[in-house]
Amino acid sequence: MADRRRINGPPGATMAPVFEDDAGQPEIKNGKGRDRAPNIIRKTFLKTGVTPSASGSAYLEFEGSSKSGVSGLKLSCTVHGPRSLPRSSPFSPHIVLSAHVKYAPFATKQRRGYLRDPSERDLGTHLETALRGAIIADRWPKSGVDIIISIIEGDQDRETSKSQGDETWDMMNVLSGCITVASAALADAGIDCVDTVAGGVAALVQDAGEDSTPRIVVDPIPSDHEKVLGACCVAYLPTRDEVTNLWFKGDLPAADAGLYTQLVENGIQASRTANRVLVECLGEATS
Amino acid sequence: MSRHRAIRNLDYEEVLDEYEVDLQEEEENRLLMEQGVVDVRSALDTEASKVTKEQIEEALWHYYFDVDKSVTYLTNKFINRPAPKAPKPATQKPTGKYLTPATATISCEFEDSSDWAENNRHGLGGRCSSQTGSRQDDVGFWVSGSCPSYPLPQASLPALFHDMPWGNIPKDRESVLIPPVVPRSRCGLLGGTGAAPKMTKLQALAAARKKKAQEKSSEQEVEQTRAQMTGLSVNSSSTEKENMPLSGAFSKRLKTSSSTAQGRVPIIPTEPRSESEQQSANPITKEPEVVEEPAQARPVKKAQPSAFAQTLFSSHTPTITIRQDVVTLGLAPSVLEAFSKPSPDDIVLAAQAKAGKKPPAGQSKKSKSSNTDSLSSSVSELKIDDTPLPKSRNINVLSEFEKSTKKKSASFVVVGHVDAGKSTMMGRLLLDLGVVDQRTVEKLRKEAHTIGKSSFALAWVLDQGSEERTRGVTIDIATNRFETETTAFTILDAPGHRDFIPNMIAGASQADFAVLVIDASTGAFESGLKGQTKEHSLLLRSMGVARIIVAVNKLDMVNWSQERFDEIKNQVSGFLSATGFQKMNIAFVPVSGLHGDNMVKRSENPAVGWYTGPTLIEELERSEPSARATKKPLRVNISEVFRTQQSQATVSGRVDAGSLQMGDAVLVQPATEKAFIKSILVDEAPADWAVAGQSVVLHLSHIDPMHVKSGDIICDPNKPIPKDKTFTLKALAFDFLMPMQVDVHRGRLHSAGKIIAMPALLDKTTGGVKKKNPRLVKPGEVARVRVELDDQVPLEAGQRVVLRSGGETIAAGLLE
Repeated sequence: MADRRRINGPPGATMAPVFEDDAGQPEIKNGKGRDRAPNIIRKTFLKTGVTPSASGSAYLEFEGSSKSGVSGLKLSCTVHGPRSLPRSSPFSPHIVLSAHVKYAPFATKQRRGYLRDPSERDLGTHLETALRGAIIADRWPKSGVDIIISIIEGDQDRETSKSQGDETWDMMNVLSGCITVASAALADAGIDCVDTVAGGVAALVQDAGEDSTPRIVVDPIPSDHEKVLGACCVAYLPTRDEVTNLWFKGDLPAADAGLYTQLVENGIQASRTANRVLVECLGEATS
Repeated sequence: MSRHRAIRNLDYEEVLDEYEVDLQEEEENRLLMEQGVVDVRSALDTEASKVTKEQIEEALWHYYFDVDKSVTYLTNKFINRPAPKAPKPATQKPTGKYLTPATATISCEFEDSSDWAENNRHGLGGRCSSQTGSRQDDVGFWVSGSCPSYPLPQASLPALFHDMPWGNIPKDRESVLIPPVVPRSRCGLLGGTGAAPKMTKLQALAAARKKKAQEKSSEQEVEQTRAQMTGLSVNSSSTEKENMPLSGAFSKRLKTSSSTAQGRVPIIPTEPRSESEQQSANPITKEPEVVEEPAQARPVKKAQPSAFAQTLFSSHTPTITIRQDVVTLGLAPSVLEAFSKPSPDDIVLAAQAKAGKKPPAGQSKKSKSSNTDSLSSSVSELKIDDTPLPKSRNINVLSEFEKSTKKKSASFVVVGHVDAGKSTMMGRLLLDLGVVDQRTVEKLRKEAHTIGKSSFALAWVLDQGSEERTRGVTIDIATNRFETETTAFTILDAPGHRDFIPNMIAGASQADFAVLVIDASTGAFESGLKGQTKEHSLLLRSMGVARIIVAVNKLDMVNWSQERFDEIKNQVSGFLSATGFQKMNIAFVPVSGLHGDNMVKRSENPAVGWYTGPTLIEELERSEPSARATKKPLRVNISEVFRTQQSQATVSGRVDAGSLQMGDAVLVQPATEKAFIKSILVDEAPADWAVAGQSVVLHLSHIDPMHVKSGDIICDPNKPIPKDKTFTLKALAFDFLMPMQVDVHRGRLHSAGKIIAMPALLDKTTGGVKKKNPRLVKPGEVARVRVELDDQVPLEAGQRVVLRSGGETIAAGLLE
């Protein structure tokens, strides 16, 4: 479904020329690998109230990897509402939540179209589920709220020619960021929530090397590892100790049930850390 | 069981018994109450006087006649009553007024609630600010609880202000007003206007809540949050505090809930797990660091904003960071330097922008200085917008006219006494010239024969109205045109009947010359000379028609008698000379209108052999067209207004003076409405222009047809014809003139008015004043007459008008 109304960029990937250093490091791909502890998430920058025209807004940034070419994640979220529903819509006793997630055309290695594709829709659905558990919906009958997230930079390694085989791993990181930033924007808009919900990702990864064993890391960068075996993205309410959304993907040995628990547990850990950033940011904003 | 059966089975006796039981009970209660009161009184002993009977009764009723309980209650409540609880504000009062018990209890409640709120707040203290914000909404009296230093309003307002002086309020009595917390400034960027967006009701509500929450957060709480934050960021050994940001009872409650949750859902872990546990539960993870880390310091991963975010949020401090990877591309420093300055294109563009702005600035300055001068000059330059429509071809009409090798055009009016054969003669003329074909005439002849007027067939070529045909007379001017080899003629067939003189005047005003038709048959000529032959010739002369051709008609009736012809010639020429026609401008032609002798073809009848002069058509061709006033401002006399497909306001008329072309702007007087000429028809053919002397049909646009009437004048908008109610004219009297009601005729225009003054009697030849203010003007005399009209009429000097009264022409004259 081509978008004929606009002048689209070339469908294929275009890359700026990369000049090798004098030192000449042939193994760019290997780089350093993961330089964080397995249970430490990347440093996060979060700021609310960035879009004056919206009722609430927030901007989130995960800093990139130490490797050059990995740009990190940049998200901008605006919340419009609560506003009255149009007359045509049926009566709703609680707030009607709609979440839109859109990649900027330049956000990823593969150029995105201007229309939302299935993966973006998928992200939107996940986000909606995650937030629905947090919002006290009964307080706003007959009203709607629109949550719009623009992914400015999609947390992808632009330099690796090797694709990880599945974009889902990237999407998981993006989703966790989306949940956190949307929560901040909702708080900025003054919409009542039971708690601040934050997203966290944990993954079972296999590092490069002959005898490396799979290990669980939080906030994985797929290009840091040889292979990602499985991952889960968790939206978690810390004070209630509730998970509002859980997305699990990967092929784990079916026999080991504890592994699933471990992954979710680590996802929750990541989410708690993200939540702390969120709470601090909101505290800064209100003080 | 159905309802009706229930009713049928109803035992009325039983029901009524129940009521009786009630009555009995009441009686019992009363007795019990009396007994109880006595018992209580005795139990209270000496204190009994402190309570009333009602109080005792009430207590008994409440305790169901339990004497002991009632006594205890009454003792506590009324007898051993503690001193009335005076709340703090009350004691502060200098007057030391006692408060009523009711207010006291209220204030107690307040204190209680505020205490509770205080507790609550402490309990909630550990929560993050946003949560407390939403929590605060539920605690309605938070504000009063959090500021205990303010006196609460206890007594009525007059009591409160009892000792308050007007003005000079002591400092300690002044209330402390805290300005609201300034709403945090949002960084304005990313589009959007500076103005706050319009909020819906719900948004306003949300904003209000938000603001309220912000205001409520007292300083203490902020400090708490800050302490909590520092506790989080700084290495703190206490895992409990770190992972559970809540403290106090609330957190305890949470802890229990989390433990229960753990029991229910085993996959969700809790934070405070021991290392060993985790290790054992995680067989894959071998490295001990993994588990150690969480127990160790876990600082908040707050990153510095990236360059992108910095540019987004802090526009005022643009920090230029030279990207190292760009520099390492190997560009020479000279190249980098070259791009640091504005490019040559930029310089040129900037200069152009500067240059483009200058002239208007200079202009404005100039206009300012000569503001007053330009105003007066611009006022004097004011004129009606006469810009032609874009359709106009801007032809120089006069030069076109001179260049055009068109035939000369002339229009003549056919006048004469009624039944002199004017219309028949013109019909014959048209038939002989081939303008009207024989078939049409045959048809008309057949029609005329059926109603017994076969001789009228030719007249019907011109007289087309049904009334004209039945009555056998011409009523309105019939216009037709024909061409000879040299000239294009326009026939204006005027009515001869005396009732239609105004129409004849309209026709005569459009004519260059005239054909006077005289009935030569015995008796008819004589009656004609007394009748309209005379009046017509007078009118013609006063309308300015100089040349006249006398067609002596119906000579075949008198066997082409030359004597009759000469007799008529003598009489008429004498009369015409007296009227003012010059001899050289009078021509006589003996004709037979019905048969066409001497009209187009010379008569073949030997009886007319005596006549060797020109035929009528030759005589017509000999007529020199009158001088055309093409250089004068435009004047078009509208003779008819009608609707066509081209225009709702289509006018036909004669161009009296000036010239016009397609697209011209014109002014219609007396309505003073502007119009544009959409198209022009000259001689029924479309033309681009027209000049004086031509009969035209104009299609007007941009005008309401109601503003255009026949008799109006179309003129140049720059030199419009003046319109006025009063005018002076030099009049030749045909009848006795005195101050009287008159009709003023000018072409199609006729308007009622009256002679208001006759300033002078003039000499006919010299034009000098013979007598001032004559009381009467006799027929044949010339006088200066002042006429006032009922409404405004476009008239200007040099125009010829006719004054009529009572159906007779009384004077004709020239406007002065």
